[in-house]
Amino acid sequence: MIDALPTRRDEAWKYSDLRAALREDALVLRPGRDIIERLAPGVERITVGPGETRTLVEIMDGAAFDARAVEIDIAAGGAVQRVIVQTGTAPVLSMARVALGEGAAFRQFIYAEGAKLARIETHVAVGGPQAHVGLDGAYLVGAGRHADLTSVIDMQAPHGQARQLIKGAARRGGRGVFQGKIHVARAAQKTDARQHHHALMLEEGAEIDAKPELEIYADDVACAHGNACGGLDAQALFYLRARGIPEAQARALLVEAFVAEALPDWLPGETRSAIETRIAAWLEAAP
Amino acid sequence: MLEINDLHVAVDGAEIIRGLTLSVPAGEVHAIMGPNGAGKSTLAYALAGREGYDVTGGAASLDGVDLLDLLPEQRAALGLFLSFQYPVEIPGVPALTFLRAALNAQRKARGEAEMSAPDFLKAARAAGERLRIPADMLKRALNVGFSGGEKKRFEALQMAVLEPRFAILDETDSGLDIDALRIVAESVNALRAPHRGMLVITHYQRLLDYIKPDRVHVLARGRIVASGGPELALELERDGYDKFAEAA
Repeated sequence: MIDALPTRRDEAWKYSDLRAALREDALVLRPGRDIIERLAPGVERITVGPGETRTLVEIMDGAAFDARAVEIDIAAGGAVQRVIVQTGTAPVLSMARVALGEGAAFRQFIYAEGAKLARIETHVAVGGPQAHVGLDGAYLVGAGRHADLTSVIDMQAPHGQARQLIKGAARRGGRGVFQGKIHVARAAQKTDARQHHHALMLEEGAEIDAKPELEIYADDVACAHGNACGGLDAQALFYLRARGIPEAQARALLVEAFVAEALPDWLPGETRSAIETRIAAWLEAAP
Repeated sequence: MLEINDLHVAVDGAEIIRGLTLSVPAGEVHAIMGPNGAGKSTLAYALAGREGYDVTGGAASLDGVDLLDLLPEQRAALGLFLSFQYPVEIPGVPALTFLRAALNAQRKARGEAEMSAPDFLKAARAAGERLRIPADMLKRALNVGFSGGEKKRFEALQMAVLEPRFAILDETDSGLDIDALRIVAESVNALRAPHRGMLVITHYQRLLDYIKPDRVHVLARGRIVASGGPELALELERDGYDKFAEAA
């Protein structure tokens, strides 16, 4: 629902430099188990060398304003997996700028339950050929919660691959926002990009705002995008209930299956089960 | 067992079932035959409690319990099973996970203990073998990518595992080739029992060669217009529905 046109300030917000607004002092870098590094609020610069692989996990579960900016530079053949789990009640402003060299890979998964304001923004610049970007995510927002997943993928080199699957669900009084732009520059021939956002409005008064964008300047590319918002499938719900599954349980089963589709295969086992537990808990909580 | 008395059902304000009366005693299998648009599936959905199928008059009960006031899941727990004409595809929910959730939800509603995972798997595997359902199909998402015949076989498997007191089979033969039809019919016949009733809805006599009904009813324009023994199905196959449609 739009009741006014966006102002210039709203538009500029997307491109503003969050780092300027962030505290530079609260940085703690704690290497976790195995190869997983946990990033805390603050500003971080990460350089990943050629052929190196890193896994970054950011947990946003606090009650205090959580602001962070991360800059990730991935050299040729390097790979980064980044997981964000946002479940706290505190407002979140997160900005990431990622640069990819030749054959580099950046895979990200965001799980967000929203807050009064939770904006998680990812900008990826694909500067080298044959690089891979995967920006997946899932959001579940209840009353009074706002989750905003915004991203820009800038394909500047040929033979790149971009994949984006975001799934979400909102209850009454919850708002989910998806803004995703894939920009394919003239030099980025043979780009293969797919962007999908699917969301469920579980009750009257739920809100989903979606702005998918594909901007293509190259002429030899394969790009597709899809965006769909709707309610739960009444036929599926009846089928489950006709087999004896009570309505609330049937709804939870359907939403869980819907959202779980966005969880990528590469998620570390522990992280995946932690996220699945959160999803189950969210679904069990009374609306 | 199943008692339907002067039932009226409307869909989107249009009356589809118009004063239907039917009684199926325990231990019997009754068939309902009728032309397209007679209200066969509407009757099935209304009995199962589907939203949008508004009962505007009459009564329906199972073993003396009024069905019409119950939620779909309560009707299922009471022992009513509907084999769907078009089973719904549900991505992301494995077929066996769904079936176990359904079985245990029904048992819980009846105040019975949950069935353990090993016992459940044993029952599902046995039913799967009888129906020649490949094991890997049961691990796949519910009905997703199943062929028409596989969906109907999986409906029969659900019926075998859930052991309902009363089953409504809505056009179980559609989408089945002759071999699959025989296998599904065998599974249904194995469930015939003195305490269980069934209502078989079909267009064609063919299914009734495999599932032999005790009674056959002709449904036309929302009412039962003729009832008889199995010979009535043969008569319909020979003469068509026209004379009954006129009678309605």
